[in-house]
Amino acid sequence: MPVPVMTVPGEQPASLSGAAVRAAGLRKTYGGGETAVHALAGVDVAFARGGFTAIMGPSGSGKSTLMHCLAGLDAATAGQVWLGDTELTSLRDDQLTGLRRQRIGFVFQAFNLLPVLPARDNIVLPMQLAGQRPDPAWFDDVVARLGLRERLGHRPHELSGGQQQRVAIARALLPRPDVVFADEPTGNLDSRSGAEVLGLLRSSVKETGQTVVMVTHDPSAAAYADRVVLLADGRLAGELTDPTAASVLDALRGLGA
Amino acid sequence: MRAVTLASIRAHLPRLIASALAIVIAVGFVVATLVLNQTSRATVLDAVGAPYVGVDAVVTSDDGSGLADELDRVAALDGVAAVDTTWETGVQALLPGRTGQQYLLAESVADAPALRWQSLADGELPDAPGEIAVSERTGATVGDRFPVTSFAPDGTERDSSVTVTGVVDLGGDPTAGIYGRLWGTAEQLRAWGAVDPVELRVAGVEGVPAGDVVQQVAAALADRQVAVRTGTEQAEEAAAQLTGDTMALTAVLLVFATVAVLVAGLVIANTFAVLLAQRTRELALLRCVGATARQVRRSVLGEAALTGLAASAVGVLAGIGLAAAVSAVAEAADSPVPLSGLSVPWIAVAAGLAVGTATTLLAALAPARAATKVAPLAALRPADPAPLRSRGGALRLVLGLLLLVPGVLLMGVGVALADVLVALPGGALSFLGVVLLAQRAVPPVVGAVGRLAARLGGVPGRLAAGNATRNPRRTAATATALLIGVTLTTAMVVGAASTRATAQAGLAAQYPTDVIVQGDGSVPASLPGRLAAVDGVVAASSLTAATVTGPDGQETGVSGLDAATAAPVLRSTGDVPIPAAGEVVLPWWADSSWGIPAGGPVTFTAGDRTATLTALYGDVERPTLPVAELARLAPEAAVDTVWLRLADDADHTDVIDEVTDVATAAMPFAFVTGLASERAAIDSVLDVLLLVVTGLLGVAVVIALIGVGNTLALSVVERRQENGLLRALGLTRGQLRGLLAWESALVAGVAAVLGVLLGSFYGLVGVASVLGSYGELVLSMPWLQVGAIVLVATVAGLLASVLPARRAARTPPVAAIAG
Ligand SMILES: Nc1ncnc2c1ncn2[C@@H]1O[C@H](COP(=O)(O)OP(=O)(O)O)[C@@H](O)[C@H]1O
Ligand SMILES: [Mg+2]
Repeated sequence: MPVPVMTVPGEQPASLSGAAVRAAGLRKTYGGGETAVHALAGVDVAFARGGFTAIMGPSGSGKSTLMHCLAGLDAATAGQVWLGDTELTSLRDDQLTGLRRQRIGFVFQAFNLLPVLPARDNIVLPMQLAGQRPDPAWFDDVVARLGLRERLGHRPHELSGGQQQRVAIARALLPRPDVVFADEPTGNLDSRSGAEVLGLLRSSVKETGQTVVMVTHDPSAAAYADRVVLLADGRLAGELTDPTAASVLDALRGLGA
Repeated sequence: MRAVTLASIRAHLPRLIASALAIVIAVGFVVATLVLNQTSRATVLDAVGAPYVGVDAVVTSDDGSGLADELDRVAALDGVAAVDTTWETGVQALLPGRTGQQYLLAESVADAPALRWQSLADGELPDAPGEIAVSERTGATVGDRFPVTSFAPDGTERDSSVTVTGVVDLGGDPTAGIYGRLWGTAEQLRAWGAVDPVELRVAGVEGVPAGDVVQQVAAALADRQVAVRTGTEQAEEAAAQLTGDTMALTAVLLVFATVAVLVAGLVIANTFAVLLAQRTRELALLRCVGATARQVRRSVLGEAALTGLAASAVGVLAGIGLAAAVSAVAEAADSPVPLSGLSVPWIAVAAGLAVGTATTLLAALAPARAATKVAPLAALRPADPAPLRSRGGALRLVLGLLLLVPGVLLMGVGVALADVLVALPGGALSFLGVVLLAQRAVPPVVGAVGRLAARLGGVPGRLAAGNATRNPRRTAATATALLIGVTLTTAMVVGAASTRATAQAGLAAQYPTDVIVQGDGSVPASLPGRLAAVDGVVAASSLTAATVTGPDGQETGVSGLDAATAAPVLRSTGDVPIPAAGEVVLPWWADSSWGIPAGGPVTFTAGDRTATLTALYGDVERPTLPVAELARLAPEAAVDTVWLRLADDADHTDVIDEVTDVATAAMPFAFVTGLASERAAIDSVLDVLLLVVTGLLGVAVVIALIGVGNTLALSVVERRQENGLLRALGLTRGQLRGLLAWESALVAGVAAVLGVLLGSFYGLVGVASVLGSYGELVLSMPWLQVGAIVLVATVAGLLASVLPARRAARTPPVAAIAG
């Protein structure tokens, strides 16, 4: 069991400064007593600015739970999470909500979009919630890069799965968040659409310096990232830099998955 | 599939309870309406028909001839146990604490206990001459002694003295406040000069049905011109005579009950539709695993039937309980509401069960059909919002128009013919049409208003406007429930206001004078001034009288009216016109006796003077001409009557007592008629009926609100994922609550405004068709109440969103991913 990093809130260890997101001693326990499930059993991890990181691990290893805690969607049982200089676990719900809409972008596996809103409104929704207007040039740029110009007036059920995911990515990129979290963004897509979505995520990292953290269980998806963090039984179980599908597969086999 | 049905009921119990609640309340509403209706009728019957309700047969003389001689003949019949006749006369009495004598109605009490109907507040009924019981209005108490002056038929006066042995409680009898009443023995009444009575009350022998008693009596009196009725029939007759417009009343209640059932059905249908629509996925899954369409339909309908029956049973009990509570409150508050005890007609129970179960089944039919059309694949894809232009939508549009247009035409015909039986089906048809069309009409209106909300309400307002317009099914379902409730409420309020205005105008026409003081002979010159000075009297007008020769050569009494002083006294000149110079108002009998048409000339002579005047007709007792005209014709004419008008806010009973004292001090045999209190009494009967109707209406509004709350709660469940996503993307809890509040205020506000417009229309049409045939119609628009309805409905819609919104705000952001 790793020794938890002792930190004073607000003061960050030198080695981790410059990280977009980091967690220390993160624990998440579901239930209690005999039946308690330690979805996260003490995780210390940091994600560098402008990096594209994949979180991998066998099913049930705690990938989604880690992402929810890092993104302020769920409260950790113990430990701390920093988004830049902001410590998340001590924030009130409203502060956390404001933070989510301005500094974090999300791409989920499914049900990403509000069915009643057309694509354009879905894309600008978080900025609207924050009472901001998107920069028109940036909006055009994002929409063009994601190939959505012709689709802005369509409602989600009129779009293909790949198009829906691209709308979700556009929405996540538009506010220029500190970090974009994606949970199995290609899980529901065929391999061609999946490759397209992953390519778009990667190019946003390369071209605009966007930080992306992606949860996946697919080695070929992880190969698009420049770093892979491995998770097993709620603990960090190693990492790879500049992964390929083959090296990821090897590492996973090492975990017994 | 039965296992699936039962498992489904068990699994969806919380949601079923929500919809069952609508059924419970709706059925409770229907049952309470029927029970309260019956109870209030029973109470009026009890109060007014008290002398008859316990009686087996009542004989009334058709030709006005006395029936006292038949007492023995009827008493001798086999089936008859006792016979009584009510001797009746007027007496003047000097009541304790009063300075002048007062007119009292005296009646005999029966000897046979079975025929004594008076219920005593204190003491006992008189047993011997010299003993009397009094009504509470006299203010006398047990043990009081006071002098009574009676008059023999030939006019001779007799003085006697009586002792009060009991005080009679007249219950809810609306005439109780008009004048004091006395009860003595038959012997006493005959001594006071009561004339031959025209009514016999018969008690049958124990065990003989009333119908048989009536037959025996009718057979025995076949040689007389009499009507023989059962006591119940006679009581109904008496109640009908009191209210006069019983027909109108029944018609109004009929309209109300029909509308109530309609509303209940629509609210249930609505809830069920939302409930099933919400389970589309689950039904599709059933189809996926191999259930046939028929099996799915049967399962859904079985669920509906069971739910409907159970909820109806609870509703029947709830309705009876509600009616009992209302009547207990009315009784405890000693209000003038004619509600005491509880009469539960079996038809109310049967109707409640039938209406509840049938409506639930009917309501489930359409959704069940839709459910069987669900493609098994629907289980596997995210739910699409229902498109506005579906085939069902087109069908609905056509059907809605097919119902609306003929319905409105039929209502038009109903108004033109003043026939509610034509207007009623027209109203029902057109309202069904409106409800069908609401599905299509409401969302665009909400959208238009929503643009305003978007400007005012920031992001939640904009999102709410979007939600309200972009999911028309949900919006229409929520709006329709409230639309129905508001339409009904408004129709009733507008209808009630107009009914009231019409009735008041009718009462004013029927009783245009508040108080009439008549002397026996001429009135002292100072009296009119002193009467006008009584506190609470606002205007007085003196009428002169003289005897002249009419056009038929016979002597006739005529009155002289002073237009200048009479105009401010009369509350209405509809039935009693004021004659202008050169005109005379003739009583109706002059038409047949003198054969003078309205507008024709009529000549009166007195000595060598003549006056030829233009004839008008009106509700006057004697030919009435302008006072100056009469003075010219008969210079000896003197004041014999004074009309008084009382202040609207004065206590009429007190003022009339005071007027009586002043008048009798100047003229011992002055006769004071307080029509004001009769008008007030009838007015209060009307008030009471409107109160009952409004009470029932409160229930309708509660149903509508439950409908709104239900729909919102269901939509929150339905939108869990959507709400979770919004929270994840940065919508704060407060904003989420605001979103739902805006959405519900938007929908409720639009529904309220539309409902008020519709309701005003229906209310006015209803009044016009029900009351159109009862004389002059006065339409009245209660703007304040109508404004309050819009406000209350909108605020209530907002309140209805509070609980669902709290629940929605608790949605964790993770719900978006967890699904
Ligand atoms: N709401 C919950 N209640 C109880 N246990 C949960 C809950 N969510 C996740 N878990 C458990 O936590 C562990 C990690 O889950 P998760 O983070 O979803 O794994 P992954 O995304 O890697 O498949 C699993 O054992 C799972 O069963
Ligand atoms: Mg997962």
